[in-house]
Amino acid sequence: MSEGTVRYPPRGRARAIKSFLRQFLGRGGAQAGVLCLVFFLVLAAVPNILVGPLQTAINATGDFLAPPSSQHLLGTDDVGRDVLNLVVHGARISLTIAVLATVISLVFGTTVGISAGYYGGRVDVWLMRLTDFFFVMPSFVLALVITPVILEVWGRGGDIFGFRPSLFVIIVVIGMTSWAFVARIVRSQTLSLKERTFVDRARVVGSSNIVIMVKHILPNLVPQITANGALVVAGAIYVETSLSFLGLGDPLQPSWGTLLALAQRAGAASAGAWWDLSPGVCVLTVSLSFVLIGNALDDTFNPRRRVIP
Amino acid sequence: MPDNANFLRLEGLQVHFPIQGGLFDRVLGRPPRAVRAVDGIDLNIRRGEIVALVGESGSGKTTVGRAITKLAQPTSGRLLFEDEDMSSVRGSSALRPYRHRVQMIFQDAYQALNPRHTVFEIVAEPLRSLQLVEGGKQLADRVSEALAAAGLNPPGDFFSRFPHELSGGQRQRVVIAGALAVKPKLIVADEPVSMLDVSIRAQILQVLVDLRAKHNMALLFITHDLPLAWLIADRIAVLYLGKLVEIGSADEITFNPHHPYTVALRNATPQIRSDASRVGLPALQGEVPSAARVPKGCRFHPRCPVAFHRCKEEEPPAIEVAANHTAACWLAT
Repeated sequence: MSEGTVRYPPRGRARAIKSFLRQFLGRGGAQAGVLCLVFFLVLAAVPNILVGPLQTAINATGDFLAPPSSQHLLGTDDVGRDVLNLVVHGARISLTIAVLATVISLVFGTTVGISAGYYGGRVDVWLMRLTDFFFVMPSFVLALVITPVILEVWGRGGDIFGFRPSLFVIIVVIGMTSWAFVARIVRSQTLSLKERTFVDRARVVGSSNIVIMVKHILPNLVPQITANGALVVAGAIYVETSLSFLGLGDPLQPSWGTLLALAQRAGAASAGAWWDLSPGVCVLTVSLSFVLIGNALDDTFNPRRRVIP
Repeated sequence: MPDNANFLRLEGLQVHFPIQGGLFDRVLGRPPRAVRAVDGIDLNIRRGEIVALVGESGSGKTTVGRAITKLAQPTSGRLLFEDEDMSSVRGSSALRPYRHRVQMIFQDAYQALNPRHTVFEIVAEPLRSLQLVEGGKQLADRVSEALAAAGLNPPGDFFSRFPHELSGGQRQRVVIAGALAVKPKLIVADEPVSMLDVSIRAQILQVLVDLRAKHNMALLFITHDLPLAWLIADRIAVLYLGKLVEIGSADEITFNPHHPYTVALRNATPQIRSDASRVGLPALQGEVPSAARVPKGCRFHPRCPVAFHRCKEEEPPAIEVAANHTAACWLAT
């Protein structure tokens, strides 16, 4: 056994990752997307170092609706807060909501999709009817119905896992309305994967259904899940912005959508205060970069799509 | 060896796959049809015996293997292993003792290995899922032992490799190592060498034959290649359209076949030198009929060069033509 148990470095895996990164980053869209995303992730990670603590109406430093100047690079809003400060702090809230909602959506969608595809039969039929139900559910209506209920139960103050109750509702609602899309893609892939011989072999060597799903099918689904996950994040940012714009956000943890809602209420657009609408540009840039990354991932993983430029 | 008769027994094993009838069929009240992949097979495998199952594609030989390894559920008949009826046992935990004793080797080794698992994970999987080892040291030992027994030396070199980094022969050895790791009593080998180069075939066959010599492991060798079956097996069973047409010792079946189908299979074998012992019957015409439309009477009669009127009406039973040699043909005596 002296030489038998020598472990060699996993060169196969390392090489695979390297070649994947080379292919992925060779795409112009992926480069632009990753660059933008890194920029916004830095903003979201250390907002206090970059622009100081979040400004409120009480500690606001500037004039009302002042245009950009050397002191306030993006001007001020209707109560004199620095717009740059708000946008940078908003990045953290917007991205966190989008990413958490996507995690919920991916975990739930993958579980439902794998079970439906793998077990088939009656399980498949019922899980897919459930998926259809959530597929057509409008996120706005759901959010408008759930928010008052949650606020009634938890109360307006306090927080749930560090989030104000209304933000928590937004996370749950986006998660609930976007998993159906993931479940359908995962199910269709599972249907083809479960017919592969290695699944038969896993059954012959005694692996249980759970082990087969987690160790054999799930790793082969990772390409589809990551590629679609990036698209789900892009969608989640849009929905989050729209819900906050409708007033479901929280003024104490303002996301980009909340800032846009406040700007709209202050009449920034009609007053010509274009700088007050800069959160909109951020939403556009971030969701565009997620779409670019998602498409690049899809192209890299899916050899059949590579033919079409 | 005691209780030889009670190792693995198939009694009238049937595997039918239902065909989903259209709305039209249902309105007209037509009876639901089925693909009769395996249509009543009686077969005995003794401890430590190598039995070859020979047939054309579409004869149901793979389905027999899948039924024995519990990948296909028999529609009727019994699958007895050491006197225990396994035909209705389902679920991975209930099947664990059976899986420990019966393993399978697949035809396409590349498809049978998960592309995202390393060789170590692949060979360790049966040991983990059947709960045969305690601790990582024992696991590594058993995996090395299995890889070495399958001819992958030194085993440590292969632990962290992925299937796509191996050659075809090495992949098949990994599949064999995975089956060996649990030290089974019976291995079902479904065309284990048909995808391999001729030069590698002999090595893989040697590994399989050695196993019987060392561990008294029984082997059900599924193949379409009669000479190969003769080379490796003690007994040969010939399958046609879901039924056994002839069964006997390897020499008997190869050199003294009684069923016209076996004779035709033998004549279809390419040979470098012309062989005087060839029996004078014309070559087979056409293909195996669909298992969804099994011909009436003897299922071989539409293609049989010596068929007569009785063959179209009555299905022949297995007729004993010599000691331990039966053929299902009206002309067999």
